[in-house]
Formats: sequence, C-alpha cells, structure tokens
Amino acid sequence: MSFLVQSVRHVLRHTTQRTTLTGAMRALSLSPGMHQQNKPAPVVDVAAITKDQQKECQLICDRINQQVAKAEQGRLFAVVHLCGKQFKITPGDIILVEGYWPPTIGDEISLDKVLLAGARDFTIVGRPILEPGLVTVKATVIEKTLTHTKTHFKKKRRKQYMRINFQRSPNTMIRINSIEVTQTVDGTSKAKEDLSRRLF
Amino acid sequence: MVFLSLTQLVRSRGPDEFWRKRRIFKMAAHYRNRPRNVYSLAVRIVHRALAYATKGRKLKKLDMAALWTTRVEAGCQQYGVPLEAFKEGLARSDIMLNKKMLSDLAIWEPRSFEALVKISRERAAVEGLPDIKQRSAFNQVYGLSNLKLD
Repeated sequence: MSFLVQSVRHVLRHTTQRTTLTGAMRALSLSPGMHQQNKPAPVVDVAAITKDQQKECQLICDRINQQVAKAEQGRLFAVVHLCGKQFKITPGDIILVEGYWPPTIGDEISLDKVLLAGARDFTIVGRPILEPGLVTVKATVIEKTLTHTKTHFKKKRRKQYMRINFQRSPNTMIRINSIEVTQTVDGTSKAKEDLSRRLF
Repeated sequence: MVFLSLTQLVRSRGPDEFWRKRRIFKMAAHYRNRPRNVYSLAVRIVHRALAYATKGRKLKKLDMAALWTTRVEAGCQQYGVPLEAFKEGLARSDIMLNKKMLSDLAIWEPRSFEALVKISRERAAVEGLPDIKQRSAFNQVYGLSNLKLD
C-alpha cells in the first residue's frame, strides 16, 4: 500500500515535466498507461477511400470495355492452365501437352482455366481463374505423336548391375486459334452462370 | 525364295559379338581418338554417357526451376519487393501463377508483372507481412473491394 502511495506521489510530482518529455522517455516512466495517451491516430475514412477506389475501378473497366468494343486492344495473350501446367499463349501459338491426354486430332476445344489475360494496355488477373466466359480461348488439336525414344540406363560398377529401358510417351500439339474478350469487364464478379454445365 | 532387296542377299555378318559391338560403336561414332574405334574404351564411355543422360533429364527440371526462381527474384527486386513477400502476397490474393509463368511475364510482359508486384505488395502491406518497408496507403491498386480488405 505504501508503495502504491509512493508511486502515485511520484507520478503527481512529475506531471508537469512529463508534458515536455519525449515519447521514448514516456515509455520508460513508471506512470500508468492511462496517463500516457499517444496522439490520436489520424482518422482514415475508409468508406470514402473505398468509394473513390470503386469509381477509379469502374473508370478503368469502362476504358477496357470501350477498347474491346472498338476492337483496339490488339493481340491478346493469356495464361491458361492445361493438364497441370501453365502456358502463356497468344493466337497462332502451338503448345505441346506431354503425356496421356484424351482429345484426338481435329478436336476443337476451349481452354477454360484462364489465369490471366492481357493486351497492350491492360491486364486482367484471375483469382485464381477469370470468371467463366470472360475470356474465350479456342484451340485445335493438330497432332498426336510419341516423343523420341528416351533411354533409361542405370549401371553400377563392379556389381554386375546394369538396366536399360526405353520409353516413349505420348505428346499432343494444339494450336491456339483465338483469344477473345467475350464479356464486358466490370469490377464485380458475378456468379449468375449456370453452374451445372461447368466442371470447375 | 524371292529376295526383293539386295540387303537380304548379304550373309549374316557373323556371330552375336559383331552386333553387340556394333550397337555400342554406333553410339560412339561421334567420339574422337581411340574411344571411337576400340571397343573396350567405347563401351565405358557410352555407358557413362547414357547414365548421364538419364540423370540429366531430372537435373534439367531442377535447373529450370532454379533459373525461374532467379528470374522472378530479379524481377521483383526491381520494385524493391523481396521474393518471399512477393510469393506470399500473391498466394494470399489467390493468384496461382507458377514460377515459370511469373518469370515469363517478368521478361516479356513487364507491365503485367509490375501490376502483379503491386497487387502482391499491397496485400503484403495490408496483412502486415515483414520485409515490406514502405506501407502503402491504398494508392497503388485499384479495385480494393475485390481484394476483400475490410
């Protein structure tokens, strides 16, 4: 009890001085925290900022939409996820899918898992994929072959151990026919698609 | 018996030894000096080469992964963001581009890459990750409502 009284007296004695001390000294002092109020944090109006941001965002979306409507966006590129790998593609490219993959020659497919699409003036980033139907990537399967023969050779010296195997795995080449922005871009993602037909 | 081609007329070129050695010599044809002509030397070097080729197929993948990491790191150092924070920021923003794509974008699509760095940086700053020195205040990335920050 006597200690408390002492400390309170100590605090009272130093009240005048404390106003002049720096923040670091305040941190070191014994006085209770309620006396050590920091400056009030600057008031950030998050709602206003968000509104501003929304406006900016809408502006950007409008500009993208205008550009797409006038077909001034130029050649698009896209990053698609296909067979566990990601490919950066642009119309006319031929990409190689390694390993077993069911589609056969001549199949027209659309690559739906578009992670990112970009043009000269804008980039659309998906989280993790763009909303369905926003960017359409069409491709054709043009060739199905086997790889060259890979020799799998193992040998241990002086142990009479030697194995040799040969392997060829299937390869599929597909050509990217077109990449198009088919919907208008608006900052909000909408989930009005019929989900029954989609696989993911 | 009708032989349609001349090669079929030629007698078999000897016992198994010839064919066994010929298989090795075919693979040693581009060597120089004695390993090209002497079987006992050729077979050692061919076996070594085949074993290296087998191991190299795995090493190639690892090497490429290391190369991509280096490239992405260099790419985000341009903007003063360390690699770890960049990757963490992207992952927390649900952007699932892999290292290969990020390095490709850093090289060929620098402005898309810059946008990714900014998104990631913003996310890292908002979530209070270490390594981000400059706390950015809502001034670099538009569409914050999409980031679900509040």
